[in-house]
Amino acid sequence: MSAFLEIKNVSKRFGGLAANSDVSFDVGLGEIVGLIGPNGAGKTTLFNCITGFYAPTSGDVLFKGVRINGLQPDAVCRLGMVRTWQKVRPLAKMTVLDNVMVGALVRTHSLRVARQVAQEQLRVVRLDHKSHFLAGSLPIGERKKLEVGRVLATKPELLLLDEVMGGLNQAESEEIILLILELKKLGLTQVVIEHDMKAIMRLSDRLVVLNSGEKLAEGSPTQVATNKDVITAYLGEAVDA
Amino acid sequence: MSSLLRSLRTPRGFSAPAFLAYLAVIGLVALVPQFSRKPLILHMWIMVFLAIAQGSAWNIVGGYAGQYSVGHAAYFGIGAYTTMLLLELHQIAPWYGIGLSMLNAVLLSVVIGSITFRLRGPYFVLASISMAEIIRLAALHFKDLTRGAEGILLNGIPPLETPWFTVKFLGKVPFFYTSLGLAVIVISVTWFVQHSKLGYTFQAIREDQDAAHSLGINPTLHKNLALMLSAAFTAAAGSLFALYVRFIDPNIAFGIDVSVQMVLICIIGGIGTILGPVVGSVVLVLLSESLRNPKWLVQAGLLADSSPTVAFIEARLSNAHVLFYGVLVVVVVLFAPEGFLGLLRTAVARVKKRLAAKPTPPSQPAAAA
Ligand SMILES: Nc1ncnc2c1ncn2[C@@H]1O[C@H](COP(=O)(O)OP(=O)(O)OP(=O)(O)O)[C@@H](O)[C@H]1O
Ligand SMILES: [Mg+2]
Repeated sequence: MSAFLEIKNVSKRFGGLAANSDVSFDVGLGEIVGLIGPNGAGKTTLFNCITGFYAPTSGDVLFKGVRINGLQPDAVCRLGMVRTWQKVRPLAKMTVLDNVMVGALVRTHSLRVARQVAQEQLRVVRLDHKSHFLAGSLPIGERKKLEVGRVLATKPELLLLDEVMGGLNQAESEEIILLILELKKLGLTQVVIEHDMKAIMRLSDRLVVLNSGEKLAEGSPTQVATNKDVITAYLGEAVDA
Repeated sequence: MSSLLRSLRTPRGFSAPAFLAYLAVIGLVALVPQFSRKPLILHMWIMVFLAIAQGSAWNIVGGYAGQYSVGHAAYFGIGAYTTMLLLELHQIAPWYGIGLSMLNAVLLSVVIGSITFRLRGPYFVLASISMAEIIRLAALHFKDLTRGAEGILLNGIPPLETPWFTVKFLGKVPFFYTSLGLAVIVISVTWFVQHSKLGYTFQAIREDQDAAHSLGINPTLHKNLALMLSAAFTAAAGSLFALYVRFIDPNIAFGIDVSVQMVLICIIGGIGTILGPVVGSVVLVLLSESLRNPKWLVQAGLLADSSPTVAFIEARLSNAHVLFYGVLVVVVVLFAPEGFLGLLRTAVARVKKRLAAKPTPPSQPAAAA
């Protein structure tokens, strides 16, 4: 029995820079895996490799037992894996509802069905009161929620969240944390990139730590928090900063 | 009026009043030749209809899918040439010829799309221009096929015989109705695009291609689909134009000003909207035709026959339309980035706000807190 998502020896080089080197880990069905690491560690790059935006220089990605590197992002999405963007990408001149409908339309040709799905998802992320606003007019907190609502509308089985709490205030972050936990209860598998240590410790079943493109550690939140290499990496960064 | 504008604008819903208004406008316009058959007036209408067809066709790929092609002369020209050559060399009647010209344009659009859609933004624009230029130069060069710079002169169009009536393509009236018909078809196609999954897909690609891609949309496929649709109707407009003016050469059919005009129509009217190209066509055609041929103003009864304005325009401004285009674009981009239609909407919204604000007493506290 193979894992839900398998990342096998994935490397990605940009010219001389190894953004990912030989990264391997598994994500089990229904799990939340936290992906952490200092700035520039290669977390977003790994998401890009998994979802088809980059072709890994070497290594393989298997989703539901199927090798998916080489697939385009739209095919990956249709298979049931979808990512959010760290730098949010609202479809600015479309309404909030239309944005979410675009996600829903992957699974249906009917605008009516898509509208229903979108309205449901907007309620889930608590953005339904802004349905008819242009996405470009939302403040950052609501843009992040829109990112999440939009990917949920594609009916994913595996969600990749790239710093959805970045730039949010305490209350907004708490809302997102509760949402992620709620989605987990519904059986949705998630990989979460987050800089907020408290949040990620609370959310994750397992943590994977990246540093300079390499996997530094993997384990339960407490194991990782007491790992010497991890502490050095983070302290090293703190001293640098 | 304001409710009509709003219902047309409400992005995706069928609105019965708007639809009835649309039919009524078509009906009224169709009556025009019953009242006035002055050739210059009919000519103006025909030019407006052809401009609407071209602008709306461009709008599908440019306005909805956000791919600013400045090379649509390629499809306009291929349409014009296909229809003219089939008619002149093989006596194939234009109503079949137009169908074949649309097919030809779709094939060409697949080739051009597969090359240019690898590029984004300004690089795509430049590539689209160069594609049209390559074809224009080819049309000048391969004289055996196209007769080169000499061009093709049309001797006559065979009458269209149907079981019910016969249409002789003499004078302006048949062209009035055929070009009106084409404009109505392209506007309707745009409506269906906007109100379908395809429209959402196109707009998503326009707003953010990578986001669209991550949400399960295949951008390459859909950009090509938009271009194919757009090219087909551009070619139909090119065919009608050629039949109407009865002469084409590579510069008329494939010239860059054809491409530029299609973009301008949409920018001036309001890009990515159904009515934008209609408004833009009226503005642009009135402007350019008034400068090129001010006599129509006399026929329309706006100016006296001996008016010094006509003489002045003819003497001094007959080639100035390009300059006026330029000024108009600068003004629109600076003061009305959403085109004339956008201005109209803002104005209507402002009036409505004022009307709505009136009944409430001025002592009402501001809602800002
Ligand atoms: N398209 C690209 N071309 C060249 N270098 C890139 C590209 N994308 C990322 N990189 C580089 O790869 C490295 C890893 O970047 P990445 O964005 O994956 O880091 P990250 O872990 O997501 O960081 P952050 O926490 O700041 O989001 C960085 O040094 C970055 O500059
Ligand atoms: Mg990142």
